[in-house]
Amino acid sequence: MQEEIVGVRRWNRVLLHIGLWCAFVWAIFPFYWMVVTSLRPESELFARPPALFPRELTLQHYTELLLGGQFWRYALNSLFLTLVVTGLSVLTSLTAGYALARYRFRGSTVLPALMLYGQMFPAVLLLIPFFIQFRALGWNDSLWALVIVYLSYMLPLCVWLMRGFFAQVPFSLEDAARMDGCTRWQAFWIVIVPMARPGIIAVATWSMIHAWNEFLFAATLITSAEKRTLPLGLNGLIGQFTTDWGVLMAGGVLTALPIVVVFFALQRHLVSGLGAGGVKG
Amino acid sequence: MPWSAVFETGRGERLYPYLMVLPAFILVMAVVVYPVISGIVSGFQDLTLRTLSRGQVTFIGTRNFERVWADPVFWTALRNTAWWVGANVVAQMLLGLMLALMLNRPVRARSWLRAGILLPWVVPSVVAVLTWRWMYDPTVGIVNELLVRVGVLKDYFPFLGDVGTSLWAVTVESIWKGTPFVMLLLLAALQMIPRSVMEAAAMDGAHGWRLLFFVVLPQIRLAFAIALILTLILTVNNFNAIWLMTAGGPLNSSETLFTLAYRYGFERMNLGMASALATLLFVFLVAVTTVYLYLIRMREEA
Repeated sequence: MQEEIVGVRRWNRVLLHIGLWCAFVWAIFPFYWMVVTSLRPESELFARPPALFPRELTLQHYTELLLGGQFWRYALNSLFLTLVVTGLSVLTSLTAGYALARYRFRGSTVLPALMLYGQMFPAVLLLIPFFIQFRALGWNDSLWALVIVYLSYMLPLCVWLMRGFFAQVPFSLEDAARMDGCTRWQAFWIVIVPMARPGIIAVATWSMIHAWNEFLFAATLITSAEKRTLPLGLNGLIGQFTTDWGVLMAGGVLTALPIVVVFFALQRHLVSGLGAGGVKG
Repeated sequence: MPWSAVFETGRGERLYPYLMVLPAFILVMAVVVYPVISGIVSGFQDLTLRTLSRGQVTFIGTRNFERVWADPVFWTALRNTAWWVGANVVAQMLLGLMLALMLNRPVRARSWLRAGILLPWVVPSVVAVLTWRWMYDPTVGIVNELLVRVGVLKDYFPFLGDVGTSLWAVTVESIWKGTPFVMLLLLAALQMIPRSVMEAAAMDGAHGWRLLFFVVLPQIRLAFAIALILTLILTVNNFNAIWLMTAGGPLNSSETLFTLAYRYGFERMNLGMASALATLLFVFLVAVTTVYLYLIRMREEA
């Protein structure tokens, strides 16, 4: 009997490992294929049948992408958008999240609910009014207009997450600081904001990822080639008849890399941020 | 005395919380509430690029909705959306739960496994979608090659170019991309189950499936419900995967309501019809969101 159970346990452990490693391979295989494609010489790319492992590696697609074309311009556009959107959403959600967690006032219970609804709108429903408004204002094809659009679907969630973080901050420390002569505003910056750092990191990472990755709004509102963001630029590499997949995948690697690095550097905070703000309510 | 002392007494003190919320409030009003309302309104207007530039936009009642209703592609898209949402939600929830349960065990190299499994969620969706499109390539795609080698396929097959498989092929990518997020939410919930609960269950002789169904799942039911609703919303709103792999084709075989609304608006340039369809989607999602909020409130009271 005892031996039987031990036997079952061992089988369970084996199955567990097989399952996890299968999932791991399934999850990372497309990345392997992307990287391998970006490093293969042209001749090997269109060989039939495709070989799973490359025989020869080259950086020619990367040099082609970085020296010719407009990759740097797209990257700068994306960087600009990401920084501005992240800065604005962190600042505004910081004060709003604090006030919503700290004070009871008219609207303090309705607003968070409104914020949550705010992230659920189908993007097409926002896209059409933005398109019409920007057309009337002459703002179509402007990166600043995209900043506004991105805030529209970033900010509600940021406020919601930030409120979740502030709900865990001990406000007695703020009272202590005020006893020592700080005003509320000073105490907010000196005492409260440093304690909310994990929340700030979570919100910042969240909006960075979204601003860097967004495609639909940018594709609709940006028309001139020199204002494209990275995702638009990548899609633009798809030709009607032929596509240079080596260069495209090199671009994919370079677009994904910064966001992957940021994510894994900060993942602890992001995950706990989701836990505190999103799931705990 | 610092300038911020005005917030310490009297009117300043009362206004302080409102002022802190004000920037976010104004932004949300300007960039969310106003556009949504005007989007819903334009669903009842004769709004095309032509009427817009002539300044002749008029109200036409529910005619846009009737036009959407009469479009046979709408019914195709509705069926596709039901399938797309159903398949994605079921597969992502099941796989996500399995992965979370497995990763909750002490396994060698767990942090590596977790990081690798999370990778699809992190990578920009345009990059992921284009990579899959390349893998599905009908002449040199690795998916075809692997399936032929394993013996599933006899010959290379244009997965994205065939009416019978296009939606399936996109769904596989979407499951691959979406599952890690479900796994993450459920894993966080699993790790919050108090050790004492698990020990008590073990003392009472709960093992295997029984432990899972009567102890573990009830403990994470709220996180499960939230993950389910978020997956539903993200799937309904998933535009990139479909648009960049098949653009809804061939012959509308992978058209969803979302891509159809986009097509109405920005290919046919009939923004009124697009708004009408988007409004229908919106009503559906609001119903879902209400359930989401209800669940959270239930938990806060518990």
